[in-house]
Amino acid sequence: MNTISTALAVSGAGALTGAAAGLGLPARIRSWIAGALTAVVGAAGLAAGASALTGRTWSASFPSLLPLAGVRLRVDALSGLFMAVAGAVVVAVAVYGIGYARGGHGPVASRPAQAVLPLFAATLVLVPAASSVSTFLLLWELMALTSLLLVLVEHAERSTVRSAGIWYAVMTHLGLVLLLTGLALFAAKAGGESFDALRAGAHLLSPTVRGLVFVLCFAAFASKAGAVPLHAWLPRAHPEAPSQVSALMSAAMVNLGVYGTVRVGFDLLGAGSRWWWLTVLVTGAASAVYGILQATLATDLKRLLAYSTCENLGLVFVGVGAAGLFHAGGDPALAGLALAAALLHVVNHAGFKALGFTAAGSVLRATGERNLDRLGGLRAKMPATASLFALAALGAVALPPGNGFVSEWLLLQSLIHGLAVPGLTTAIVLPLAVAAIALSAGLAAAAFVKALGVGFFARPRSPQATGATESPALMLTGMGLLAAACAALALVPGVLADPLARAVAASRLTGIPPLTGGELRLRLTDTSAAYAPLWLAAALVVSLVLAGAGQRAWRRRSRRRAAKLWDCGGGQPTPRMAYTATSFAEPLQRVFDDVLAPEQDVNVTHVRESIYLVERVRYTNRVPDRIEHRLYTPLLALFAEVGSRARRLAAGSVHVYLGYGFVGVVALLGVLTVLK
Amino acid sequence: MGLLRKIRDTGRVAEPAPPPPGGEMPAAARELGGSAQVRCVDAGSCNGCEIEIGMAFNPVYDAERYGARLVASPRHADVLLVTGPVTRNMAAPLKATVAAAAEPRLVVAVGDCALGCGEFTGGYGLASETGAVEDLVRVDVRIPGCPPEPAAIIAGLRQVTGR
Repeated sequence: MNTISTALAVSGAGALTGAAAGLGLPARIRSWIAGALTAVVGAAGLAAGASALTGRTWSASFPSLLPLAGVRLRVDALSGLFMAVAGAVVVAVAVYGIGYARGGHGPVASRPAQAVLPLFAATLVLVPAASSVSTFLLLWELMALTSLLLVLVEHAERSTVRSAGIWYAVMTHLGLVLLLTGLALFAAKAGGESFDALRAGAHLLSPTVRGLVFVLCFAAFASKAGAVPLHAWLPRAHPEAPSQVSALMSAAMVNLGVYGTVRVGFDLLGAGSRWWWLTVLVTGAASAVYGILQATLATDLKRLLAYSTCENLGLVFVGVGAAGLFHAGGDPALAGLALAAALLHVVNHAGFKALGFTAAGSVLRATGERNLDRLGGLRAKMPATASLFALAALGAVALPPGNGFVSEWLLLQSLIHGLAVPGLTTAIVLPLAVAAIALSAGLAAAAFVKALGVGFFARPRSPQATGATESPALMLTGMGLLAAACAALALVPGVLADPLARAVAASRLTGIPPLTGGELRLRLTDTSAAYAPLWLAAALVVSLVLAGAGQRAWRRRSRRRAAKLWDCGGGQPTPRMAYTATSFAEPLQRVFDDVLAPEQDVNVTHVRESIYLVERVRYTNRVPDRIEHRLYTPLLALFAEVGSRARRLAAGSVHVYLGYGFVGVVALLGVLTVLK
Repeated sequence: MGLLRKIRDTGRVAEPAPPPPGGEMPAAARELGGSAQVRCVDAGSCNGCEIEIGMAFNPVYDAERYGARLVASPRHADVLLVTGPVTRNMAAPLKATVAAAAEPRLVVAVGDCALGCGEFTGGYGLASETGAVEDLVRVDVRIPGCPPEPAAIIAGLRQVTGR
């Protein structure tokens, strides 16, 4: 019994008792016990992952646990990284969730919700530990089902939840079908379904089959990670889920799409050819730009965060794709750096996105509003939540000293140095990828300035926002844990250098450690670049203190007089005159008019007596998801058309059905005769 | 180049400055030191006075050479040039505008209406019986006329700037 096995056993046991507690206990203590057990699941996952990141591995096989295939588990540093991230997010979100559901009111405190939450948490921790196709698919599907149930928790409150649930259910199961096909094909050709057998047998596959396996698996994993164009479920399901579930989905579940791509692409299939990784990189760059563009225009706070998840996972895929390209181009050191940057971005994104979603959940709980146009003024009412959201936004905008900057900087370093890798593809693709990352970083700044500025600053724009109160202490504690993690990731990323090197090595991509740490700085081993975030943060703090002191001194010397605001004689400005999320994003919407194709409509109603007098002007502005509009709507219409045509076959006459049977048998016999 | 040539050919069109008006300077005007930033306030005028004020600042009359300059906000202004009979709707904005200008400030009432003896005296909708600016705020300089000629407006402003 080593740490990992103990921790995994604790995690499984915690999940089962948590589910039982959620089902059996009375409402008063249900959320406490189930929440505490969920936190135990997360802590155990964190411990197992951290232990694996120190270089330990553990594997086990339980042949009798499931019929036919049994259960195989193996934890190495790559699994450990994703387990640790999921575990850490689960701990913080579980603590937050106890506060969120306290008092036992609301659908999130109900029996089903509280029973499913620990199970979902456990699958998040356990999916990376699976080491056979059947175990992986089982846990993957369990994760999809439990998260689907949790998305549907508030279905009685809003009808949009149901439609989001249907989208999610259909897309995640289409993904499962692709994954099942891909992995089954792989297992059949490689002669075994354990990951060891797949790894050993990968060279038996022809390049075409390997490519097919990769494409099928990558499509499924990209859909789980919300990559364009398979993202349509994400901006629906993440906002409609209860906030702690959104945080878990956006910060832990989507990561497993990356894990799957790295595990199958690099480890099991052995990195393959150049076009695979070109596909990954282009998909990633497209989702990064498209996701953040939609986030910039979103007025729903949680939808904005969900689209930002598309963006960040896109950036991670850019890193993964670049790693594969460099590997195929014969530069293992750079490949390791790109993969390390991608994995570090997974960690950073999990930190700030979980914090963002939990803070958005606090706002939602306090005001009942997700629409930024109707929020505002929350800094005064909810100072702790506002500053925590500000920290999350700092991480998301990828500017120093936020934590998102560290990994995006590493990613850019790897792409820029990657121009040394020979080949026309890299010469064309890498500069474009750098441009895409730069564009998405700029748009991310706009999106999060909007979220923070319009949502939390200025004056309240609705009675709900006026009446907001600060969240309970447990919610703040949960968010505080995440904030501490974000701050640590931002200030001392050097401690992650060795674990990242081990995770990269576990992906079998390269043995060269890409980074060297030290508590104070992060240095690239391959090139001369280094980043010392602690000094940067110290310089920033010192300059802020100096500026503050200077302003105070200047203010003391000057004569000041309090006067009424000059309102042009027209009366005090009202909150309606302030910037809203829509008006803030309007210039950007104009710039990207051709890409986004927004729908605007001005409806003027005249007074009955005269057309020169206007009674009411109604302005509507919608920014539909264009990919969804262009790709999914025709596809759905086609399916509906085929379905309604097929219905004509079932006319209700028994004679016709008997005829179908006869024709079917004859056709089958005919086919068999030809084939024999 | 056409514009530059035009400027050179036209030369200076300003009329020669008349002798400075006598009369005593208001106390607040002395603190301004010969430079007055002027904000126009239309408190209900028929726009006749506004046209004349516009003329006073054109190149021919050139009020700026005497130290008066139009500004866009009472926050920038030392002098408020109020025109028109004060209507009910403009009474509160007028007071707010005067309050918004920094001390020391002066109010110059331009035109007969602003002095309470114009066409609209006693009319419906005035803030007071005569609509005089004086009924609402303290007035330092008075410029009569319906409308006052640019020269008269400049004479009033020169009382403030003292130049």
